[in-house]
Amino acid sequence: MRHQRREFLKLMGVGGAFTLLPLDIARAASQPTIEDRAVYIAASAKDNAGETDDYYVSAFNASGRILFEQALPGRGHDIGLRPNHVDVAAVERRPGLYGLILDRHTGDVRAKLHCPEDRRFYGHAIYSNDGRFLYITENDFDHARGVVSVWDAQDGYRRVAEFDSFGTGPHELHLMPGGDQLVIANGGLHTHPDQDGRTPLNIASMEPNLSIIDRHSGTLIHQAALKADWHQLSIRHLDVAANGTIAAGFQYQGEITDQVPLVGIWRPGGEIRPIEAPDTVQYRMRQYCGSVRFDASGEVFGISCPRGGLVTFWNAKSNDFLTHIAAPDGCGLAATDHAGEFVGTSGLGNSWRMDAIRRKRVELPDDSHKSLHWDNHLRRIVA
Amino acid sequence: MSIQFWRNTLLSTTAAMFVGFSAPVAQADIPDENYQAILSHLLTEVVPPKLDAFHDATSDLADTIGEFCRDTDTDGLKDVQGAFHSAMDIWQEIQPWRMGPMVANGRDQHIEYWPDKHGTAKRQFRKLVFNKPAVYTDPIKLSEGSAALQGFPALEEVLFDDKHAKQLINADEDGIYLCQYGTAIATNLQTISGELRDEWPEFAQAMSNAGPDSMDYPTAKFAATDLYRALHEGLLIISSQKLGRPLGESEKDGKASRAESETSKRSLRNVEHNLIGLFAIYDGKWGDVGEEGMGLASLIDSSLLDRSFRLNWQTVQDRLSELPTSVGELLEQPDGYAKLSDFAGQIDFLTSLVENDVGGNTKLGGGFNSLDGD
Repeated sequence: MRHQRREFLKLMGVGGAFTLLPLDIARAASQPTIEDRAVYIAASAKDNAGETDDYYVSAFNASGRILFEQALPGRGHDIGLRPNHVDVAAVERRPGLYGLILDRHTGDVRAKLHCPEDRRFYGHAIYSNDGRFLYITENDFDHARGVVSVWDAQDGYRRVAEFDSFGTGPHELHLMPGGDQLVIANGGLHTHPDQDGRTPLNIASMEPNLSIIDRHSGTLIHQAALKADWHQLSIRHLDVAANGTIAAGFQYQGEITDQVPLVGIWRPGGEIRPIEAPDTVQYRMRQYCGSVRFDASGEVFGISCPRGGLVTFWNAKSNDFLTHIAAPDGCGLAATDHAGEFVGTSGLGNSWRMDAIRRKRVELPDDSHKSLHWDNHLRRIVA
Repeated sequence: MSIQFWRNTLLSTTAAMFVGFSAPVAQADIPDENYQAILSHLLTEVVPPKLDAFHDATSDLADTIGEFCRDTDTDGLKDVQGAFHSAMDIWQEIQPWRMGPMVANGRDQHIEYWPDKHGTAKRQFRKLVFNKPAVYTDPIKLSEGSAALQGFPALEEVLFDDKHAKQLINADEDGIYLCQYGTAIATNLQTISGELRDEWPEFAQAMSNAGPDSMDYPTAKFAATDLYRALHEGLLIISSQKLGRPLGESEKDGKASRAESETSKRSLRNVEHNLIGLFAIYDGKWGDVGEEGMGLASLIDSSLLDRSFRLNWQTVQDRLSELPTSVGELLEQPDGYAKLSDFAGQIDFLTSLVENDVGGNTKLGGGFNSLDGD
């Protein structure tokens, strides 16, 4: 995190990055404050007088003040951050056709990615640590096969390779510590653009898994699945701690009343360990997890449950439930510098600072963030 | 029969009412006080007397089976079966209110372990009767054991299965054990219903006092979402599980034994009581407690829409009253499968009204992320 901060300041100082900043921030450059920096970025939407929503990538500062809104051609999902660079990748949610590379400070479009005709983007992207390659989860829908595409950022974002995700319906992916491996949540759901691209076509036979591949060769290194009884638990979102522990959130495709775990911890080489909250909280999670995010310490992780309007917090060391905080329609989560602290965003427009240790929730003071519906995932840009 | 069929059929009874509000009208935000009034009414005034009634019914059940076991005879068994039905009736009204103390520590499953997809209860019950472990005749030890062996379905097996009923009356070795075991279950249900009654007020208070400092319920609107969800999910469960499971994939696949409480021949009577408890969420009146129009209905800004919803709900209840009390009896009729399928279509139509009309007008129907599915 400190390293990223140094790199960011270096960019600000020697890379000519000021020319990319919004005018009002550039004018204030002589005395930049932390509130002036675009520290959080996410896909968002705005009501359009009863018509289809307008979609954006938006950034806000630590106070919640919106710094820019860049219009998107369709609904976004997550944002991939290019290390030590202004680029961020906004990939359309499934079944996505576009990807935009934006300037993280202004929202300006720097490059466009087009999905091949026989593939659809699934909303998540991640860069290699050196910033050269962008990896995107995709659906090879005619073969009910998940793939990870590779795009060369140093070559105009040319699509240079495609790897098997070793499952169906790949969704979120992350780099493992060391940066040479990718962990992919294969949700197990087959969809096809001819049937709206979102309706699951294989609930009875779905087989979700977590897979780790070599990002250079695409070779499968580790794979784990839940027990067969829980095959309808779609493993959709994950985060990775610095020690390689993977936290995953599930979305259940079975009955509302079935008692199933919704959270798992995986240490590659072992089994996925399911963990549950007390019944009253577990029930309020409504069989559906949204974002997963580790805190700055790597010991606590948060999992948002937008259908239940909760953010749940868990201890990765003891594999225990910690606490929960109500967050109506809350989904986006990003860690702050403080152990156990997160910023969360909501589809209702709220943004909060949440403390999992002290069980506190404070709304960000600037009301401008309330003008948008914040989408599923939130990313922090600077330390 | 499809939802579309029932949409057309039911709507035709109220078509005139819909004239004039077919186009959605933009509504102002509903003040939080309006949600707070509903929470306060339903959770602190309407539910507690029903939890009292449930506890009274399980206490009566425990007393009745205790009395029967001292001197077993056919009339005594009928009395116990009657007490079972009374307790089950009120439980089925409470069952859809899945929130707080209802689900704490697996309480709803301990009261009634259902659906039982893998036939766990039957399997464990057979083993229990064969081995006759003494611990299952002690209500406290029973409560620490398998959920499948400690609630209504297990007691139903004791009281209503023909073979077990004969054993009870004959008071043979199996009958004596079943009597002791049945008494332990009824006592356990009495204890659980007492805990539920005792824990409810604190939960109701927390919901009713929603506010920005609460880490559980930051607004009354957010708290009221749990009421809307109970109404919505209650209908979904009737359709997908209580009716959907016995219906199966096709008429050939239909199977009454997959229905709830089929041994006591009351699977559709359960649905009848579910609908009473669910409608209380909308209406605010539940039998002789509460007040009409003080539930979610108080947020509906159109008397026509409200009347239409009530009429459609009543139509479904009327239809159910024409059917036998169990899926098994219905499926024995030549057109039984079609009738059950029709009725499931009516429930699905009510679900669509809840989603579109109630969810939309109360603004409790779901948000940008909660409806997303990614």
